[in-house]
Amino acid sequence: MHHRASAARHTHHTQVLSYPITLPQRLYTLVLGPLVIFTLTYIIVHAYPFIAPPSGEEISFGDIALASFYTCARLAAAYALAVIVAIPLAILATINPTAEEFLLPVFDILESIPILALFPIIIMLFINFDFLNGAAIFILFLSMLWNLVFTLVGGLKIIPKDIYYAAHVFGIRGLDLVRRVILPALVPQLVTGSILAVAQGWNLIIVAEVLHTYIPGGTSAQDLFGVGSILVDASAHAQQGVFVGAVFMMVILIGLLNFFVWQKLLHLAQRFRFE
Amino acid sequence: MNPIIEFNNVGKTYPQEKNAAIHEVSFAVNEGEFVCFIGASGSGKTTTLKLIAGLEEPSAGTIKRPEIVAMTFQSGALFPWLTVFENAALGLRQKGIAGEHLAREVDKRLRMVGIFDFREKYPSELSGGQRQRVGIARALAVDPAVLLLDEPFSALDAKTTAELHDDVIKIWRETGKTIVIVSHLIEEAVSLAGRVVLFRDGTIDTIYPIDLPYPRREQAEGFMRETERIRRAFFK
Repeated sequence: MHHRASAARHTHHTQVLSYPITLPQRLYTLVLGPLVIFTLTYIIVHAYPFIAPPSGEEISFGDIALASFYTCARLAAAYALAVIVAIPLAILATINPTAEEFLLPVFDILESIPILALFPIIIMLFINFDFLNGAAIFILFLSMLWNLVFTLVGGLKIIPKDIYYAAHVFGIRGLDLVRRVILPALVPQLVTGSILAVAQGWNLIIVAEVLHTYIPGGTSAQDLFGVGSILVDASAHAQQGVFVGAVFMMVILIGLLNFFVWQKLLHLAQRFRFE
Repeated sequence: MNPIIEFNNVGKTYPQEKNAAIHEVSFAVNEGEFVCFIGASGSGKTTTLKLIAGLEEPSAGTIKRPEIVAMTFQSGALFPWLTVFENAALGLRQKGIAGEHLAREVDKRLRMVGIFDFREKYPSELSGGQRQRVGIARALAVDPAVLLLDEPFSALDAKTTAELHDDVIKIWRETGKTIVIVSHLIEEAVSLAGRVVLFRDGTIDTIYPIDLPYPRREQAEGFMRETERIRRAFFK
């Protein structure tokens, strides 16, 4: 069954990411990783002649920083929404064998629908409310959701039965069970799933911010201000400096997020892991 | 004698299982008694313990059990994100007890099981024996009428097991609690219990009263006789 494979795959991710964080790994995250990516980007930008020299209309690094803030805000909103939806969905899908039998195949089907195929419909929906940021956040949310759901389902399946028994014996039931047992027990998988989900969000950010390509008769004025749209715009207008600056900013942001958030959370999650 | 647990023709069949896990089980446990369930894997002893704990509902028959029953588990079933103190406080917190009263009650039980010095540690920092002690402290903290122990010593080394046997007997004598333990070791059953209940094929085969003074050592007179008597029936 595909959903079982998905759960196993995510559990595997959890195990892989659960090893203690060593100094070389930290160094790689903070220094070598960003350096390698930046160097490769720099080489690509300079080595290929199809990117023309900079034209006159460049934007400042401050603009890129501000755009990054907007991008991060969209990612954060989508991520928060994905977590809020994924946790109950995962719990619902594993609450009993009947629910699991019905819901997991449904999730599998929903996961398999290409998000980009939905994007034009989502945009047309949100354009009616003049809320294009909503369209971007929704598409990012969808891209994050299933990673989180299947990782959390994997996490719920590895909670030992004795833990549920102990909770029951000591009167922990219903919402108390969710709050005091299930949510803490899911922390390791939530962290792992979040890393995968946010990475998926970064992958889609360019598409999510450059909306005009999905709007019939759309113009670049309908694009959202963000680091993704700056990248596309810089590429289209051959603004080499802006392009490199935007890539650099993304690398820095992802590196900082990894070092200051995910690595710390992975370390913290060790405490919540069942042996 | 005042029966605190009573089973009358109790049966349990799990959904999607063809055969009953237990059938026609009838017995009573008196207040303050120390009873041990033994039997081969799948003989029904753990199912019976779960029914006493209220973790399962019977498919047939009736069960009388007290309201407050606490249980320890083979794995310890400690919550890894909670300290020893917080694990032991689990049941009391759920009852809304907090502050100094909570600390006093929990610390008393942690001292009783000899784990007080580890109260700020996490389960991952403890040995198997220490985890079992925390599990016992957690169970005692809610002041249960019956304490259930599900194969608590099966994953421990011989020395730790012997120490814990002595401690469980000490706790039983000090508190006067009714204790029901599941074990697969006949020697363990004879060391601890006042009555040994032998399960076979989902029902009770024989109940053996063990009338030996504590502490019971393998070298003591009568110990091997009782063990052999049960062993013969066990492997019949």
